[in-house]
Amino acid sequence: MEAAQNFMELSKQVVGFIYPNEIDIQWSILIVVYPYITGLVAGAFILASLVKVFNVKELQPTYRLAMLTALAFMLIAPLPLQLHLGRPERSYEMFMTPNLTSAMAMFGFVYLWYLMLVLLLEIYFEYRRDMIVWSSESTGPKKWALKLLSLFSTDISEKAVAFDKKTVKIITIIGIPSAFLLHGYVGFIFGSIKANPWWSSVMMPVVFLFSAIVSGIAMVMLLYMIIIPLRDGKIDMKCLDRVASFLFYAVIVDFSIEVLDFIHRLYESEESIKILSQLVETKLFMSLVVLQILLGMLLPLGIMVVIKVFRLQEEVRKLLYFVCGLLIQLGIFSTRWNVVIGGQLFSKSFRGLTTYKMELMGIEGFLVALALLIIPFVILSILIKLLPPWKKGELAGS
Amino acid sequence: MKDFFKKLPEQAVRVAVVFLVFVAVVFVIRQFIIPPEMKEPALQQASSMEREVAKEIQYAGAQICEQCHEKEPQIKKIGYHRDLSCESCHGAAQKHVENPTEVKPTSPKKRDYCAYCHKYNSSRPTGFPQINPDTHNPRKPCITCHNPHNPKPPTTPRSCAACHAQIERAKAASYHALIACSVCHTAPEKHKTSPRTVIPTKPDKREFCGKCHDKGSPRKGAPTVDMAAHGEKYVCWQCHYPHTLGGI
Repeated sequence: MEAAQNFMELSKQVVGFIYPNEIDIQWSILIVVYPYITGLVAGAFILASLVKVFNVKELQPTYRLAMLTALAFMLIAPLPLQLHLGRPERSYEMFMTPNLTSAMAMFGFVYLWYLMLVLLLEIYFEYRRDMIVWSSESTGPKKWALKLLSLFSTDISEKAVAFDKKTVKIITIIGIPSAFLLHGYVGFIFGSIKANPWWSSVMMPVVFLFSAIVSGIAMVMLLYMIIIPLRDGKIDMKCLDRVASFLFYAVIVDFSIEVLDFIHRLYESEESIKILSQLVETKLFMSLVVLQILLGMLLPLGIMVVIKVFRLQEEVRKLLYFVCGLLIQLGIFSTRWNVVIGGQLFSKSFRGLTTYKMELMGIEGFLVALALLIIPFVILSILIKLLPPWKKGELAGS
Repeated sequence: MKDFFKKLPEQAVRVAVVFLVFVAVVFVIRQFIIPPEMKEPALQQASSMEREVAKEIQYAGAQICEQCHEKEPQIKKIGYHRDLSCESCHGAAQKHVENPTEVKPTSPKKRDYCAYCHKYNSSRPTGFPQINPDTHNPRKPCITCHNPHNPKPPTTPRSCAACHAQIERAKAASYHALIACSVCHTAPEKHKTSPRTVIPTKPDKREFCGKCHDKGSPRKGAPTVDMAAHGEKYVCWQCHYPHTLGGI
């Protein structure tokens, strides 16, 4: 009954002609949250790899934070999918009976590879020595938790630590293509749906990847700026400036690729172009033109140009970086929204548009999505408690 | 080989052990818990076939009816419904086949059943016979005029519809569905041979529509207006298109 009422309400919002099964869209806000979260994972990891592989020394203070952020979000990444599909207890069967021809089923393996062989291993080798030291200093459950996490390892000889360092470097080198694979895969899923002209584009994995890098770097920057003062530390301005300039370059690349995709679509002007322009001008105007392009991209780009051109004071720079970080998060979330929801708002007949009405309380509703976006921060705070990313000396700025 | 393991740092061995345990768990689950049908496509197909075969048969199929019923299938074969199977309208009939005297299949006699396919819907193909059930002989069961085994297309003003098919289809779904073309238009015989030079008439006086739609009209059921006060300068069809659904 409620479904019928919902359907009637939606059908009044339909513009033009639309097939009956297109009125109510199937991929909801949870599917918007999913690429957003995986994007943060991939982006945070890329930032971390800058330190280890490309030897960008200034970024060292964000290295461990970036790894923990990637892990915290990675642990939650499959949750929106499982909630959307239902029966999460069956999800392990995906690994047991692999379907090699399904791109969606292969996600399980991409995820497993990235979580187990890249993130967990890298964090293990990075923290192993510290975990052994900390477990000997602490008591109670924390001691045992650290012992368990270090797999009861005890060797902190120079040779063993050197082995750790070397392994971390190797894993990071493997990790970069893996992070590209992880998020490129998400773009691939959308890009390979050839019946949907809004999605079907070879550019999709690339666009996803660079927006992921942008969002991940911005998220680590925000977290760094929030957590350090909370722990009575001093923000390392050299590091922050460097993170921000990487963010700046990433936004420029991301923006150029998206503009390229846009121009390409306009010039190609396939039969779908009319309905897509109608989509952009009406249903997606707020989320695409205003939030994604103006507030989420051009404004932060402008602010960062201002920071680079004028030598602003430290405090002003911090404030502007913070605002940029927030705006970029907003923009990238809108990007995900525009891809996932936008792609379902127009009819395959190219003659009409429907509307997405978000639930509030249901399993696919706003509150669940909000909870999914908050849980990673809770996990991160536990991880930071257990595995502090900074030593006391580093916090004080020495 | 032994030397190689001795040279490995202890943490690498620990990680390797965890990895091997993980692989072993996956192996055990796959080997002992996952049923074989889920691993082998051929087995899966066989088991789903078994499952389907075990289900009760509901439909008898398209050919079997002819063995007992001679007349209707013969009529149906030459009609527009030739591609519909008997059970599309009469329902699942396997039980009737097994026990022809006691179990009788149903036959839809109400108007709404035919409307599943023939109610006006803009997404149906052009030329598909469609009606508006509210205006097309309301309440009369379809089978009083149409033989469902050989439904013939409407035969009335076929001479007009030969060229004006689109208007005819639109009109069939409108409130004027039951009014013949000749009520409003007079077509000279020559119109058929020189359609562009000899043109049929259109109602050129307001009073023509007023016969049904004026306030004082004796006809019941049609919407009425005060013709003296309603758009007096214009002929009715300058604003109201009489062939379309609703006619507005």
